[in-house]
Amino acid sequence: MTSPLRLLVNGVPVETPVPPSERLLDTLRWRLGLRGTKEGCRTGACGACTVLIGGHPRLSCLTLSHQVGEEPILTVEGLESDPVGRAVMDVFVAEAALQCGYCTPGFVVALTGLLKEHPGASESSLLEGLQGNLCRCTGYSSIRRAVTRLAEPAP
Amino acid sequence: MALLAPTRAEEAIAELLDGPEGRVAVLAGGTDLLLDLEEGKGAPEVLLSLHRLPWRELRWGREHLEVGATLPLAELERDPELARRIPGLLEAVGAVGGFALRNQATLGGNLVRASPVSDLIPILLALECEVGILGSTGERTIPLEKFLLGPRRTVLARGELVRRVVIPTLPSAFRWQRVRPANDVSQISVAVARTPDGEHWRIATAGVAPLARRARTAEALLRGRSPPEELMVSAAAGAAEEAGVRADKRATDTYRRQLLRTLVLRAIRAVPVGPTGDAG
Amino acid sequence: MIRSDSPRKVRGALEYGVDLDAPGALHAVLIRSPVAHGRLRTLDLERVRSSPGVVAAIGAAELAELLPSRRGDPSRPAFPSEELRYRGEPVAAVAARTLGEARAAALRARIEVDPLPIVAQIEDVFPEWPGSGEGESEHVNAHVLARQGDTERVFARADRVVRGKYRTAGIVQMPLEPHACLARVEEESWRVQSSTQSPFGVREDTSAILGLPEEQVVVEASWVGGGFGGKGAALLEPYALLLAAASHRPVKLQLSYAEEFELSRSTLPSTIWIESAMSGDAILGRRVRLLLDTGASLPGRDFATGYAIGFIAGPYRIGAVELEGYAVKTNKPPFGPHRAPFAPQCVFAGESHTDEIAREAGWDPLEFRERTAWRVGDETPLGQKVGPFGLEEGIARARAIRERWRKELPQGTGIGLAVGFWSTGTGAGGEVLVRLGPTELVIETVEAEIGSGSVIRGLVAVAEEISGLPREAIRIERTDTARGPYDSGVYGSRTLGALGHAVRVAVTKLLEELGRRLPGRGEVRLELLDGKCVASRGEARTGVESLFTDTERATSGMLARGRHYGRGGEILAERVITGGFFGYTDFTAAVHLAAVAVDAETGQVRVVRYAAIADAGHVVDAPTYRAQVEGGVAMGLGEALTEETLWSAEAELMNPGLLDYRVPTLLEIPPIEVEVIEGFPGAGPGGTKGGGEPPIIPVPAAVANAVADASGARVRELPLTPERVARALKLL
Repeated sequence: MTSPLRLLVNGVPVETPVPPSERLLDTLRWRLGLRGTKEGCRTGACGACTVLIGGHPRLSCLTLSHQVGEEPILTVEGLESDPVGRAVMDVFVAEAALQCGYCTPGFVVALTGLLKEHPGASESSLLEGLQGNLCRCTGYSSIRRAVTRLAEPAP
Repeated sequence: MALLAPTRAEEAIAELLDGPEGRVAVLAGGTDLLLDLEEGKGAPEVLLSLHRLPWRELRWGREHLEVGATLPLAELERDPELARRIPGLLEAVGAVGGFALRNQATLGGNLVRASPVSDLIPILLALECEVGILGSTGERTIPLEKFLLGPRRTVLARGELVRRVVIPTLPSAFRWQRVRPANDVSQISVAVARTPDGEHWRIATAGVAPLARRARTAEALLRGRSPPEELMVSAAAGAAEEAGVRADKRATDTYRRQLLRTLVLRAIRAVPVGPTGDAG
Repeated sequence: MIRSDSPRKVRGALEYGVDLDAPGALHAVLIRSPVAHGRLRTLDLERVRSSPGVVAAIGAAELAELLPSRRGDPSRPAFPSEELRYRGEPVAAVAARTLGEARAAALRARIEVDPLPIVAQIEDVFPEWPGSGEGESEHVNAHVLARQGDTERVFARADRVVRGKYRTAGIVQMPLEPHACLARVEEESWRVQSSTQSPFGVREDTSAILGLPEEQVVVEASWVGGGFGGKGAALLEPYALLLAAASHRPVKLQLSYAEEFELSRSTLPSTIWIESAMSGDAILGRRVRLLLDTGASLPGRDFATGYAIGFIAGPYRIGAVELEGYAVKTNKPPFGPHRAPFAPQCVFAGESHTDEIAREAGWDPLEFRERTAWRVGDETPLGQKVGPFGLEEGIARARAIRERWRKELPQGTGIGLAVGFWSTGTGAGGEVLVRLGPTELVIETVEAEIGSGSVIRGLVAVAEEISGLPREAIRIERTDTARGPYDSGVYGSRTLGALGHAVRVAVTKLLEELGRRLPGRGEVRLELLDGKCVASRGEARTGVESLFTDTERATSGMLARGRHYGRGGEILAERVITGGFFGYTDFTAAVHLAAVAVDAETGQVRVVRYAAIADAGHVVDAPTYRAQVEGGVAMGLGEALTEETLWSAEAELMNPGLLDYRVPTLLEIPPIEVEVIEGFPGAGPGGTKGGGEPPIIPVPAAVANAVADASGARVRELPLTPERVARALKLL
């Protein structure tokens, strides 16, 4: 049983039939073709599927598509058109804050959300905010260097 | 499976009463329920989502904080007053999952799921919060301790929903121990609160069987805003004995007792000596 | 820009295995054994087939119908037809229109099993180290024994004997991307795209399992979301191909995380005993005993025991050494490679023991190692000569870091040292095709970039060094096993050493050929001028396009093939009493320091500083090399502190998910100091040594030694969870 669903994704209104139990992760990836949002654990424990809903980082694997309503969704594909998102991506590229790249969309989206909510956030609060995003390759070292560049210098 | 998302409380209650008995699952933040569904545990016919109900309030009173059942935990965390007025609650909320998860998870959902390893239940028990329950005949309020019956069991009857949680503003502290400090399930968590006059101390522990509970014998040993060291030590030791710990894949019972002795003492010491909240 | 793949990765623009899709593709699910050990009496897929949306379901019987004339390797059946050897072992597979339908259908299979006794753990077979003659058991997959010198005699002569018993835990690779593939079968072509570290390895396995000629199987790697050893051999590909053949549709097969934990083939628990015969500060002799749980591995496929056991003895001068180990067969899933397979576990035992010897005698553990470490030219217990080796230099550097830390860190912080060594000249070879076009140099390989940067950066950096072209003019082109040159895979820290060598050979050939076509004498180099590749010799500059033959102009460039097939290390046969041992080549050292704070009441360990000194040989790209060290250390910290598979008495995995299998988060990993030693060249191009595996090896030992330094508590079991530390602190 599917019912039509309207979403606002990366500034674009979309309409697609979606079964009531479908996760936003699957709607984004397989109905809307936005596969930059990565499927990880599907249990909310890895952060690979992080998207912004209403500007806040959310786990798309634990969100039903029909729960989103009219709140705007921002995925990694839409970050480029967001000044904060672009700054985060640029720093991740400059520091090579990635290896296999699979967790990377989740990290840049989560960091964008954190920085939009707390412009000028300290390095430690940004790091704290990323504890739900796992990376298996980098040892977080290059990610930490990227966060240092994105954080306001400590007073 | 159908998804219903009523905008008015009456509709939600009606659906619970009229829907197929036992086949309606209530969805708040969904961070726990969707895991069950993913693993094939339970197959509800109707998912009743509360996300469109206007219940995401956060209201400070003179002596209480009132939190709507569907307010995401992160909203609670964002409140600038929380650190000063209920410090233990802020510490406990910050211990739940990662930030993205806290943007979804709700206080109401956490109470109804009644998990033995909830990091929120001990602090809410120690604060002696009350749960507002909405049914077809109106709202009733009961203490959290009476609300919880066991793991995943509460007093909620058919046709009832948690509407709000009323939390006294008290000096308080929260401590936990985990194998992995960040984003893990606690082996033990401990909350301590004190009335502003220091007349009453309350200690609650989680990670114990079958569900978080108060340590009343230990509480009775404490008096005053800063009790003598030896009484704090005895209270902590007492709390460890009366908690009813057991072994599971996360920790043995002996280790949990050691953690309780340590963490209860640390939490007692961490409760601010000065008054907090407008009532003080 | 450090990595050329970064812009696409931050945009989520690359296609990984999980992203693969094709019009009309079916979704597949594996039907798996409900028991750890049993005899399959009935497997009835009738109800699976009649389930909504199902297009194909296949088990051993259906396979025989589908491929009646197949001649698969009988020791590697696609599906078991009799004995089920571990819980979760695939017994059949189903493909349906949607994943939900496939999952629902899989639950409808009728599987009847006669239970057989379960061997869940090493202790079920050997409660203690087996005495002489007791090691004969149907539950032993391999027995290895080697001896250097007369251990009996030196133990009798010793002033004192130091003994330790160590246990290590099962761990999983857990790349963020699970295994995933997409299969298509058209006519005679069995084609699979897969998230794999080794397309040719998958081809070889798949053809052996299915009984198809190798040329009929075509494997193409997608981008790979991390491998760490778990994506080397075929896993899902044979099942997906069978379903594609049966359904005549493309088939996507992807593991859930829970399945990933059970099927990924990783490291299982072990027990290790070490005894050292001491006289003064000399180690007269050492006995090493290893019981390694190899799960339901098939006989003859144990690769770990005879390789790993040498690492336990350590890179030390020891008079006489005896190494003995058993690969124990249990009903856990089969053992498999995981970043430096089983070496962190071996070194945890060996380096904890070395520390214990020193501390017991009141010596500085660092100085003790300094005195005892192998020097270049020393001999290993298996009779190999130690080549260029940065161990001594590494320990000297560690001393300087320790001095600095002691000034900077608060009282009560413990500092632990551990050294690891590794062999990265694995001998497994490979080839590349390199094409010089008018505007770029293209390296053709079947290998995917799995994250380490060894392909996208390492191979490019070698081509840069040799050719003179800037990196923006050099490109990796990924191809499949039908078109591409053979290579054995991205594993074993071998990519740069073997494939990089092949690039060096191919580019050198191109330069030589250009030299023949250019006037004059002297070295030929390439450069990029106004977007064109230009050959230079002395002062002369010539656009390469003008040097092409007509054929080259028509086929877009000059082509050269580079090959590199290395050799394994040779060991002295008389040292081996029984079993298969492997020679090491290209010795590399990893010297690590950990600084920890230990909570004296809870046993919680916090790593506050970490330093890794790497014997790199030669570094072709510093940021990429450093990133490998940082990543290896963090993974090692997981093995040291939190990661552990938990098994029931029925060999059931109790924590198949990230909620209870604890991968480190950013908050557990401190900033990591990396120091690189060059000057002890390895066999790779320009003297490189493998970089991916060595940095994980000493980590658990360094942490355990730091905990002992901080608190006096010696934890002899991995991981060092707060509870284990509390026990060692005698709090419980």
